[in-house]
Amino acid sequence: MVKKISLKFIVMMTAVALAAMLCGAWLAAVYRESGSRAIFLPDRVMTLLPDPKPLAAFAFTDHENREFGLSRLNGKWSFLFFGYTHCPDICPTTLATLARVRENIAKGAAGAKDVQFVFISVDPNRDTAGKLRQYVTYFDASFLGVTGDDAQLGNLAGELGAAYQVEVKPGMESYPVYHTAAVFLVDPRARYHAVFAPPFDAEGISRRFEVLRALEGPKAT
Amino acid sequence: MRWRHPVLAGLISALIALTAAAEEAGISVRDAWVRETPPGMTMTAGYMVLQNKTSRPHVLVAASSSGFETVTIHRSIAKQGMTGMEHAPQIELLPNASLLFAPGGYHLMLSNPKRALHAGDRVDITLKFRGGLALPVTYEVRK
Repeated sequence: MVKKISLKFIVMMTAVALAAMLCGAWLAAVYRESGSRAIFLPDRVMTLLPDPKPLAAFAFTDHENREFGLSRLNGKWSFLFFGYTHCPDICPTTLATLARVRENIAKGAAGAKDVQFVFISVDPNRDTAGKLRQYVTYFDASFLGVTGDDAQLGNLAGELGAAYQVEVKPGMESYPVYHTAAVFLVDPRARYHAVFAPPFDAEGISRRFEVLRALEGPKAT
Repeated sequence: MRWRHPVLAGLISALIALTAAAEEAGISVRDAWVRETPPGMTMTAGYMVLQNKTSRPHVLVAASSSGFETVTIHRSIAKQGMTGMEHAPQIELLPNASLLFAPGGYHLMLSNPKRALHAGDRVDITLKFRGGLALPVTYEVRK
């Protein structure tokens, strides 16, 4: 099983970057000083899509063995991260950061009831529902772990401009896995809305998210 | 070369031993930590700041620990827009320089710990340098 959609990824990311530059509306940064209004500034942490992109249907299974499809993205802001549980460095680092992001959002006035964090394993070969449950809930009890077959993973990854590659070799217990390190933000209408680029900083992400949610709030739900 | 004078020979070998010890003392590690393993998980990573206070370069070639099945020196890398890992067979530590092992970069990949690791535990790992120098380091397990 070797999955490679890097060309698609590059084309997609280039298109997104060009579109964003043309629109001149890269990033939301808000100045809340009296009399000032929301302004858009270029930002390295979060890139907003000029037009949020509705996602197509998909069929995954979550860590409780329940179906996890497009409808599970409706009504909530979803942070999506691709990875695998045998990942010693990038994945635990990112999940620990996302746990702090969630904590920050939960402490804020608007809370975290309309927010979910979804870890998408690109290694269904090793990441069973049981393994995913042990893994994601360790970082935060509310985190979801999902996975699906290669076709389902490939479709969603393609729509987000993400990429992954699993170099399974017969009889090998350990094998290389590559995956996009970005964190994707899907809005409550199940549209791909923004992407966060590494290296991640919990405060940088949660602050931007809270601003975006406040701006989009009435429109997005 | 033959040393006819036993005292001089003794002095020379003592000097060599001292030099070796000094060299060893010249390489040090600070802020050494290992990430706590989530329940049931078999992989984790070790991080540190590796300092070479000597005037010579040193080459880190391996690491070992009785606490894990394998210890490999790895580096997280970007490849075609994706993140992955590659084995770093040797890392040169420049004279009077520090090398950072940190999340997203160089790390010790630790697989199949002999026992579950919990925050506050200590783990011993020996770093091996070219030329036979071995440096035992104690890592603190952190969440």
